[in-house]
Amino acid sequence: MSQFFDTIFKPEFVFAIIRITSPILFAALASVIAEKAGVVNIGLEGTMMISALFGTLISFWTQSWLIGVLGALVVGILLGAMMGFFALRLRTNIILVGIALNILGSGGTVFLLYLFTGMRGNTSSLSSPNILIPTWNIPLLKDIPVVGAMFSGHAVLTYVAFILVFVVWFLLYKTSLGLNIRAVGENSNAARSVGISVQRIQYIALMLSGALSGLGGAFMSMYYSQSWNTGIVAGRGFIALAAQAMGRGEPVGTMFSSLLFGTAQALETRVSGIQGVSSYLVASIPYVVTILGLVLYMLSAKRKVRRLHQKLKNRQDAEQRT
Amino acid sequence: MKKVLLLALSLVLVLGLVAVPAFAEEEAKVYNVANLVNGNLGDKSFFDSADAGLAELQEAGRITYKTIEMGGRDEDQPKWLETLYEVSESGEYDLIVCGTYQMPDYLTEVAAEYPDQKYLIYDSAAEGDNVVNINYKQNDMGYLVGIVAAAMTTETDIDFINEDAVVGFVGGVDSPVINDFLYGFLLGALSVNEDIKVDTRYVNSYVDPGKAKELGASMIADKNVDIIWGVAGNSGNGAAEAALESGKAWFIGVDSDQELTLSEELAAITLTSGLKNIGNSLIWFFDELDAGNEHYGESILLGLPEGGVGIVTDKNFDEFAPDSVKELVLEAEEKIAAGELEVPTAIGEVSTELEELRDSLQP
Repeated sequence: MSQFFDTIFKPEFVFAIIRITSPILFAALASVIAEKAGVVNIGLEGTMMISALFGTLISFWTQSWLIGVLGALVVGILLGAMMGFFALRLRTNIILVGIALNILGSGGTVFLLYLFTGMRGNTSSLSSPNILIPTWNIPLLKDIPVVGAMFSGHAVLTYVAFILVFVVWFLLYKTSLGLNIRAVGENSNAARSVGISVQRIQYIALMLSGALSGLGGAFMSMYYSQSWNTGIVAGRGFIALAAQAMGRGEPVGTMFSSLLFGTAQALETRVSGIQGVSSYLVASIPYVVTILGLVLYMLSAKRKVRRLHQKLKNRQDAEQRT
Repeated sequence: MKKVLLLALSLVLVLGLVAVPAFAEEEAKVYNVANLVNGNLGDKSFFDSADAGLAELQEAGRITYKTIEMGGRDEDQPKWLETLYEVSESGEYDLIVCGTYQMPDYLTEVAAEYPDQKYLIYDSAAEGDNVVNINYKQNDMGYLVGIVAAAMTTETDIDFINEDAVVGFVGGVDSPVINDFLYGFLLGALSVNEDIKVDTRYVNSYVDPGKAKELGASMIADKNVDIIWGVAGNSGNGAAEAALESGKAWFIGVDSDQELTLSEELAAITLTSGLKNIGNSLIWFFDELDAGNEHYGESILLGLPEGGVGIVTDKNFDEFAPDSVKELVLEAEEKIAAGELEVPTAIGEVSTELEELRDSLQP
């Protein structure tokens, strides 16, 4: 047990949580935007896989990590647009489009990798430091003991992910585009009746969603792992869907639920180093935490409903009395 | 007339004496081999190793062979089966060689159709009386790697090495095959240092280097691990990256010489790699064949004595390992090869020994 606390009360633990959370957060925010516009984007995993591959390839071709990241972003946008084309224009069920994209992400990427490089499975021999996303040692902060070790020295994209939480919030609640997105998601008929082009808004939402998951993909192959390999995203796109649902589709809430998933996984890696703990048991930690999280979420939602109910009743009583 | 007959007879006799050995030599058959590669050469791994072994045999005049590259994409898979059928149908080859986990189903199907054709599959297992399966003793390999890791983790003169006798093992999945590597690793480490600690953690995935990186980072930060052996497929690279990022640890590769396959930066911190010597195992197979031992229908496990497994001893290992460590490795190699030392396996018999050992060495 003391071993457990030793490893938890280390700045490295918090550092790990933030690092594990970053890719999940990108994809979860992507899901938030799509969901707000009333489209379900379950193709996050596939989008991340494909952008991760192109991030690596483009950065290798141009020998510039920045162009690689932008390339991954553009590929994400294109994939979002492609989803839009199939789901909105051709009226395919969007869940099916998402599934197709995920399959493309797992099988198609291997094909593309082979097509472009002749490599199979992974790109580890392409990697070199100048094509990886650099880390940022924040001046001043990095010199503060403990706190510096927690929050300084992350990949540039990690900071971008957390900044994007507020950018997405701002976009959704403080801009007219955000208002349109929410209106379309809330009630597309009502939105249409006031002259909003539902299809256009949903296209934009899917493309924004693609852009965000594209960044998540770049994070995976250009920083987290220093090369791309088959299956590299390993389900993070699906965890992001859960994080979005648990965060009630709100940017800030989603950030906290992403952090919860990140914490669960960080715990898993630490606990597996403790004497006498079965690896099978350890592997279940993220799932147990998810269930606990959902239970807490349900309880709080229930209490909220009860409180609203009570309020309503009080008001009715008051009205009756008068 | 008699003289002529005598002369003729003695001539025949002399010729016969000369001819008989020549004839016998010809009887050592030159096999014609087809080497099917379900990928491409240039992988610096299994396929190149197999090809190198066959090239050596051809050089020695013992076989002629042809390597057919079938491509490694999913789309190529139908071609694998097709090619297997084609080379079997041609009847030109005495032996058809293929390998890796992706081939056994195809091979089982084709081998049943051509019972007279002989096949060999490496690092996997197919079915059929005309098929020989060659696999490799990971436990022997693990033993050598364990010796290297445990002997070097206290050599503080070497870069990245701290004084704690703790090494790490990042496994793919808690399964018999991975644990076979582990069992050898633990025992090899113990044979060098009784007080060694081995931090064993599993990624639970072969394709998640991100998670392997977190495991490696935690080992280095929390347990002062300075040498990590990654046995987790693609995930293993994540452990190497954790070592690189921390600047406090070495990585050890597996299966093929990962100093050749990883990026330059990762290769620089890769101390050595545990090897499956596909090429050696093919040479061993033809040695056996020439000695009259046909192994068709058998599943063969090759370890150190047959040269089926080993570790990389050039490059970084040669440069950084002290002579004492090199000697330890040589000594163990000789002992195992001579049969004086047998490394137990984690495959087959269900035993709790490994688990107890693993737990007792966990720091």
